[in-house]
Amino acid sequence: MTAVDGISFDVDRGEIVGIVGESGSGKTMTALSILRLIPEPGKITSGRILYGEKDVVQMSDEDIREFRGNEVAMIFQDPMTSLNPVLRVGFQVEEAMAAHSRFTRQQARDRVVPMLQRVRIPAAKDRVRDYPHQFSGGMRQRAMIAMGVSNEPSLLIADEPTTALDVTVQASIIELLRDLSRELRAAVILITHNMALVASLCNRVIVMYAGRIVEEGPTRAIFKNPQHPYTWSLLRSMPRVDETTRERLISIKGLPPDLGKMPPGCKFHPRCKFRVDRCFNEEPPLGEVDPGQLARCWVLMKNVANPEAEAQK
Amino acid sequence: MRGTLLYIGQRLVLIAITTVLVSSIVFLLLHQIPGNAFLNETRQSEETLRAELHHYGLDLPLPQQYANWVTGVLHGNLGESLVNHGVLITPLLVRETSVSATVGFFALLVTIGLGLVLGVIAALRQNTWVDYIASSTAVIGYSVPSFVIAIFGLLLFGHYLYVWTDGTVFYQPGWGKVEQIPVPALALGLPYASYVARLTRASMLETIRTDYVRTAWAKGLKARVVVLRHALRNALIPVVTILGPLITGIITGSVVIENIFGIPGLGKEFVTSILARDYNIVIGVFTFYAALVGLANLAVDVIYPVLDPRIRY
Repeated sequence: MTAVDGISFDVDRGEIVGIVGESGSGKTMTALSILRLIPEPGKITSGRILYGEKDVVQMSDEDIREFRGNEVAMIFQDPMTSLNPVLRVGFQVEEAMAAHSRFTRQQARDRVVPMLQRVRIPAAKDRVRDYPHQFSGGMRQRAMIAMGVSNEPSLLIADEPTTALDVTVQASIIELLRDLSRELRAAVILITHNMALVASLCNRVIVMYAGRIVEEGPTRAIFKNPQHPYTWSLLRSMPRVDETTRERLISIKGLPPDLGKMPPGCKFHPRCKFRVDRCFNEEPPLGEVDPGQLARCWVLMKNVANPEAEAQK
Repeated sequence: MRGTLLYIGQRLVLIAITTVLVSSIVFLLLHQIPGNAFLNETRQSEETLRAELHHYGLDLPLPQQYANWVTGVLHGNLGESLVNHGVLITPLLVRETSVSATVGFFALLVTIGLGLVLGVIAALRQNTWVDYIASSTAVIGYSVPSFVIAIFGLLLFGHYLYVWTDGTVFYQPGWGKVEQIPVPALALGLPYASYVARLTRASMLETIRTDYVRTAWAKGLKARVVVLRHALRNALIPVVTILGPLITGIITGSVVIENIFGIPGLGKEFVTSILARDYNIVIGVFTFYAALVGLANLAVDVIYPVLDPRIRY
């Protein structure tokens, strides 16, 4: 079975790219492939993942080890289970640095408390010796972030970093991520299904559906002129505070396709309100619709006269 | 720390109470078994029998005997052997316990060492021939009772390999040679080693799929560190849990093994003394066993918080 197929995108230094999509659309698998961390028995069957000049897919085991957490760091979804319960938080941060040659052992040890302070953990000096169960969810995610940025990576992948957290904590974690990425001049790939988060944080958005990129472009363009029916419906499915019109929210009927039973043609056509005959058996390519904006659709929303009315049918 | 000491103190008191209860029950039951220690002595006149019974206080009413015995125990004196006149039981049992403990210690070493190694290797190479060999060895080891292994051990080293071992493994009068330890220790430890191997494998398979082990890989730690520090350390927690019953099994299992190999330990004394109706020794052995089992379980519970910081007393 193919979970992710034909994905291609670039992330530049200092850029924050959001990857959005429903559960099972392949967001996490895409992110895990970048570090070659796909769980067994899954594997990357073809393609390239370039970091500068280096191809991650071709790296030796030792090279990929040195690469992980050093050049590219990852922050996972659930901080409650992502920290080792039997090791001290400070040690887990130190270990991330000690694994790589960027810092000496002594430097690694000395950097632990400043790193915890940098991610705004109060009383960091006392808390380095705490175990994860003594930390709250938000604090654990901060510790995870400290671990991630400790080696000053040039790319930070955050896989739904706030999904498991309280709403009140979410905002502060996002703010922290943004500030750190600026200070470190690191690129960020933010995986989420929270459109509001994308709007406030990302320069560019990639929308995924059924293991494919269906739309991609600058955040402003995607939010203002979504061209793929999926993106359009996704945006119209959320209430907006600034919306003056009192239109009904749109729901996308049905579920994403089963990996084993992919529909022919466009993968979204069974749920699409705007489909035409061609969608049933011919998969559209990811074509440029505007400078910098790409969409995988035969119809494109700009060609639909009255989308609101049609979608409500 | 103070909590831990208090806890250990409480447990020791409980062990003492349990030991007294166990030996009291044994005391009462034992006197219900027909016969006594002096029936084997031939050509014994009525008078000498009466004199012997009187010497050991066996002609007193049972409650009186019990009171005398308890008084003795509280002074650390388990009395005198009925069969071998003048032999004091406490030093005898202490000596025998040290013999049993030596064999038991090496059996435990086999159990934990072999069990962990087999279990970890099987888990890391899940569903490969390495796993199949390790797992089926474990199933066989677990299915074959230790006395069968013991008899095959005797046959192999004492008979077929007699020339090579020159009879030093067994057939030696007395005890105290290093060569005499491995075969009984293996026979005693193998079934439990298999049990530990199966448990370790299952436990490792669980931990190597956890989020925190994925985090450890993502940090770029070396494979050895991920496996030993992150996966195994957590996988050991359920293994330590069964260590208590396991040590108990080794202690009681020594009864069979020591009799097969003729090891002059507590287990051999146990059987001999029951057959001879040597009341004092039987009760003494039971008292020792009860205390040993209690202490072994306490030892395991003390190891627990060292391994898992979430557990505190």
